[in-house]
Formats: sequence, C-alpha cells, structure tokens
Amino acid sequence: MDPQLTEVSQQFERFKAAFARKDYNTCSDLLSQLKVLLTKFTSLPPLFENSPNAAKELTIARDIYEHAVVLSVKTEDQDAFERDFFQLKPYYVDARNRIPSSPQENLILGLNLLRLLVQNRIAEFHTELELLSSATLEDPCIKHAVELEQSFMEGAYNRVLSARQTAPDATYVYFMDLLAKTIRDEIAGCSEKAYDYVSISDARQMLLFSSDQELLTYVEEEHPEWEVKEGFVVFQKAKETAPCKEIPSLQLINQTLSYARELERIV
Amino acid sequence: MTQDVEMKDNQTPSQSVVSAPTSTLQNLKEIVALIDTGSYTKEVRRIARAVRLTVGLRRQLTGSVISSFLDFALVPGSEAHTRLSSFVPKSDEHDMEVDTASSTSQAPPPKHLPAELEIYCYFIVLLFLIDQKKYSEAKACSSASIARLKNVNRRTVDVIASKLYFYYSLSYELTNDLAEIRSTLLALHHSATLRHDELGQETLLNLLLRNYLHYNLYDQAEKLRSKAPRFEAHSNQQFCRYLFYLGKIRTIQLEYTDAKESLLQAARKAPVASLGFRIQCNKWAIIVRLLLGEIPERSIFTQKGMEKPLKPYFELTNAVRIGDLELFGNVQEKFAETFAKDRTHNLIVRLRHNVIRTGLRNISISYSRISLQDVAQKLRLNSANPVADAESIVAKAIRDGAIDATIDHKNGCMVSKETGDIYSTNEPQTAFNSRIAFCLNMHNEAVKALRFPPNTHKEKESDEKRREKKQQEEELAKYMAEEDDDDF
Repeated sequence: MDPQLTEVSQQFERFKAAFARKDYNTCSDLLSQLKVLLTKFTSLPPLFENSPNAAKELTIARDIYEHAVVLSVKTEDQDAFERDFFQLKPYYVDARNRIPSSPQENLILGLNLLRLLVQNRIAEFHTELELLSSATLEDPCIKHAVELEQSFMEGAYNRVLSARQTAPDATYVYFMDLLAKTIRDEIAGCSEKAYDYVSISDARQMLLFSSDQELLTYVEEEHPEWEVKEGFVVFQKAKETAPCKEIPSLQLINQTLSYARELERIV
Repeated sequence: MTQDVEMKDNQTPSQSVVSAPTSTLQNLKEIVALIDTGSYTKEVRRIARAVRLTVGLRRQLTGSVISSFLDFALVPGSEAHTRLSSFVPKSDEHDMEVDTASSTSQAPPPKHLPAELEIYCYFIVLLFLIDQKKYSEAKACSSASIARLKNVNRRTVDVIASKLYFYYSLSYELTNDLAEIRSTLLALHHSATLRHDELGQETLLNLLLRNYLHYNLYDQAEKLRSKAPRFEAHSNQQFCRYLFYLGKIRTIQLEYTDAKESLLQAARKAPVASLGFRIQCNKWAIIVRLLLGEIPERSIFTQKGMEKPLKPYFELTNAVRIGDLELFGNVQEKFAETFAKDRTHNLIVRLRHNVIRTGLRNISISYSRISLQDVAQKLRLNSANPVADAESIVAKAIRDGAIDATIDHKNGCMVSKETGDIYSTNEPQTAFNSRIAFCLNMHNEAVKALRFPPNTHKEKESDEKRREKKQQEEELAKYMAEEDDDDF
C-alpha cells in the first residue's frame, strides 16, 4: 500500500475516534492536517489522474469531506459548511463514474438544501434541485427539504415547524432550529399586515414564545412600532395604498418631454 | 430539449428548389465558384451566401454526388481528399458515372486550393453524414474538421466554421456524449475570442450553454454567460437560441420577469419554419407566466401546429386559472411523463403555490366575510390542522399583496376590504407609461434593424454630385471674389 495513503487513513482513523468522543477541537486540527495531505493525491479533482490507487484515494477523500461537512454542522459553522460542501461536490458529480456512490450522499445533499433554505438563498436552492434525478427526489432526506420549501413558500408555517419532529437525521435539527427563528420573523411580518390587533396570549402562541415576558422583549427589540395596551398587541398600519392626493408633477413633465422627443424623431 | 431545435435559414432561392437532382452537382460547382471569389476578394458575404445555398441543396445530397464533388473540389490523392472520401460510401454506380463524366469534361479542378474550400468540403460531408444518421462517422468527421480549423485563421472561414461547430456539437449530442466535448468547445471559444471572430463566439457560447443545460448545470451556465463578452448579435438564429437559454437560466433562478421577457422575445424572433424551437419557447413562457401569476391568452395555445404539444400546458393553465388544487394535482399526474420529458416537472411543483393564491383571490373577491374553516375547505388543504394553515397562508397572501383583507383572529374569519377606485391612484398612469415606452422602443429597434447595402450612397454621389459640388464651389468662390471687390 502506498505510504501516503496509509498515512492519510491512519490520520483519518484518529479523526474518527476524536469525532466519536465529540472532541471537536481536536477534530478541526486533524481535519486541516488531512486536507493538506489530500493535496498530494493527483487522482483527486480537478486533476483526475489515473493512478493505480485512484479509486481508494477518491473514496477516502470523499469520506473525509463528508465528515468535514457533518463536523461543521456540529460546530455550527455555516461558512465552513459551505466551503466543505463545495469541496465535496465534485466527488458526487464529476467522480460519479469512477467510484460507487456514497451512502451518505443524499443526507449531505439534503443538509445543503436545508442550509440554502435557512439562508434564504432560494435561487440557489432551485439550481441545486435541478441537478437531482427524479429517483433522488424521492429520497426521504431530499423530500424533507423540498416539502419544507413548499410549505415555506405557501405560508403554511405550522407544517414547517412540525417537520422538526420528522427530521430524517439528528444533524438536521440544527438547521431546523435556525429555520424556526426565520419563521418567527416571517410570521411577525405577516401578522403586522394581516391583523389590526391580537390578544397577547394569541400573539404569544402565534410567535411560538413560552411566556408573555419573552414576547414583550421580542416586541421591544424587533418591532418597537407595535403597541401593547390593555392585553392586546396593536399593529400600527401605515396605509401605503392610500389614494394619491397630489399629482407627481415632476415625473409627469419628464415623461411628457421624453414622449415629445421620441415623437420628434419619428416624424 | 430532446427535440432537435435546429433552425434553418428559410430564404432558399427558388432556382435551387426547382432544379432536378442531376444538376445538384452543377449547383455545388456554382457554390465552389462563389467560395473561390469570396476567398479571393475576402468578402464574407459571398461565403455566407454559399453556406445558405448549400442548406437549400441539403435534401438532394447523395453519396455519389458527394464523392464526385470531392473529386472535383479537392486534388485527388491529397490528404484531405482521402480522409473525406473514406466517410462517403461508394454506391449508386450509375449516377456516379454520369456525374464524374460531366465533371471531368466541364471544368478542370482549380489549381490552388483555398482553405475555405477545404473547410467547405468538411461541412458538406458532415451534413450528408448527419442526414444519413451515421452519427459515429459524423463525430469522427467533425472532430477532424475541428482539428483542421485550429490552424486556419481567416475571417472568410468564420462563417463555415461556425456551422461546423454547430454540427460538431449536434453529432455529439445525438450520440449523447456532450460532456466529452465541453473542454474542446471552451478552448474554441477562447481562440474565437482572441481572433475577434464574433460569429464564432456567439455560436460557441450557445453551444456551451446548451451543453451545460443538457446536464442541468445551471450554475456553471450562468457563470459562463455573465462573464462571456457580449456584443451585437450577428445571426438571428444564434440570438434566438441565446435568449432561450437565458430565459431558462433565469426561470430556474426565480427571476421570472426577466425570464418571461427573454422567452417571449425568443419565441417571436424565431423563424416561422422552426416549429420545434418555438414550441419549446412557448412551453417555458407559459410556465413562467403562470408563476408570475398571469394567465396566458387562449390564442397562444391555438397557434398553428402547436395545439397538440401544448395540450398538457393548456390543461395546467386551466387548473391554475380556476385555482383548484385537486384539478391541478390530477393534471400533474396525468401528464407526469410529458413534464418529465420536457424537464419542467420541478417548475410545475413550484406552481402549487400559485394555485392556492388564485383560489384565495377568488374567495376574497366573492365573499366580504368568510370563516377560515371554509377557506381551508374551499382550498382543499388536506393537512392535520387546516384552520391554522389557512390562517397563516391568508396572512402571507395579505403581506405579499395578493389579496386585500384583514383577519379577525378572535372570530376566526377573513374580512375582505372594499376594493378602492383604481383611477384615484397612479396605477393607470404607470400602465400607460410602460405601454408607450414599449411602442417607442419597438420603433427605435426597428429603425436600428434596417440594413442598407454598404456604399450605395457614396457611389451615386460620385458622378453627378461631384460635378454639382464643384460648380457650387466655383460659384461661391466667384461670389466671394465679387464681395471682396465690393468691399474695396
């Protein structure tokens, strides 16, 4: 066996041990060493040289990056997640014909979809979705994320929240919690427009707070324009679509002048 | 996408259409003469005309015609000749005899061989191979032509080269090996850019986009598109394709307004003959308009030749228009195969949200006050807690401005607001403004698109005007002299 490969696999074993111990600091240190070691393999993307150990090297590199992604979820580092995921992606896309697909693949792809959803990067979410085959879309991990996006778009927030219980893997919970926060802001934004007023207890329920006190601090911090009086939260509604009283003269003059100029060119 | 969206120039001159098959070779010889002069005088226009004439002859090409043409155009025994002849089957002995006889008697082969002619021979053989469905040979032939093209740097070749690029990509697409040629295409695009070959750049950029989109690599396609140099379009066909790909990318990335514009423009600009391409454009445009909350007019679905392929999309539109989730689900299921084939399935999933919106809008218009439970029932929300779902859905619709209403939480009902008088707002004025701007813009574009033959203006001037000018100048000089005299 190639000495470099042996070194990497030994290091990786140590990493896995630390990972099982939940010693995440050691994990990150080992991971950066591993990444440096991986740069010496020529069979990895983007070179894809056909060395005798290519399949083994590719498999172990993919394994390492998969662990790196999961580790970044555990350490709640979204930037690291994005970096590691992009390093991992070529192994799923370009190396598909070289090594058998990974059992972790759908789990990781689902996590990434969820991350994009949490960060409200819907365009990228759909771009990623297009890359998946119809068989992959049926996978529980992927399906979970896709259904979340749909409910989120519709506005069925209850469904999003109850999806936390049906999360297909423990790693999903981190993002689900983040999503809950996004949803609270969404609900707050919607209620502001949809209601004239609601009672404090209803508002507490809607905004998913466990006590009135939490609600009051939230209102104070995020929405100081809301008024709390006599057991009700009153939303001050600015009427934007009020009939216009004054004529936007400057704009009209500009437009008319431009019509005149254009017409002159035609005649 | 699976349908071949090839667009042919439809201005085939009438003479080549009526000509009998026997004179095909004669026509080809005329084209050779055209290329010869084109290459000699360095006029791109002539080469473009030659290519156009060839496309008109395409159906009449047979193995014997091609091989005798090769004998005529290329020096027998030369490298290009042997290579190209190997692709063409020797058959139809009778025809061949007649043709070769006439070719040898009529014109001696040209002494010098312009690069254009050699490339043109590759082109015609490639056309023949693709029409004969000999795709693996076509692949070999096109790869050889691309290798040859790398060493030729003449502006007059660019026209034929861009056609070759297209058929090169097409032959690989037909055998489903598009991924293989991606790096070659990138390299070609690179050198076309360095050589200022704008037509080549345009063609190659489209081929690359097509290549990426074939594998749903929208991210890469968009990155390439936004970074590639843009200039005024040279070929209408290429521009249409570009607009179509751009529309697709934007649809996936949820920029529906821009996507709609590109797709509709592509559908309008495409030549009438390219039915397949226009159908594709219309399919995508319909979905994008539905996603935008618009309902496409019925006339779109009844266009000539489109009724049948657009049927699934017609039923889909109907479901969205009524706002019936159940009907929508049925249509989705019924045409699942078509949608999967068109690769629009994911987009249609996105539409569910629009169906709910339309349904909600209908409810809000018809009722001034309705309980949330009824809303849930009417929308057929099948979930564990329909009332709570309905409440948040309604709340979101209010926030997004889809309906004008408030929710009474205590009594659990939705209260619609009186619709205000739209003419008391600025709305009509902005609508008029955008329409006027559209018309004026259209006029300007039309003026810009007018083409004049170069130099006609100057030539006319040459004789009469010059004399006239001279006369005027003389008069002026005389007048000035007189004035000078007066002054003194």
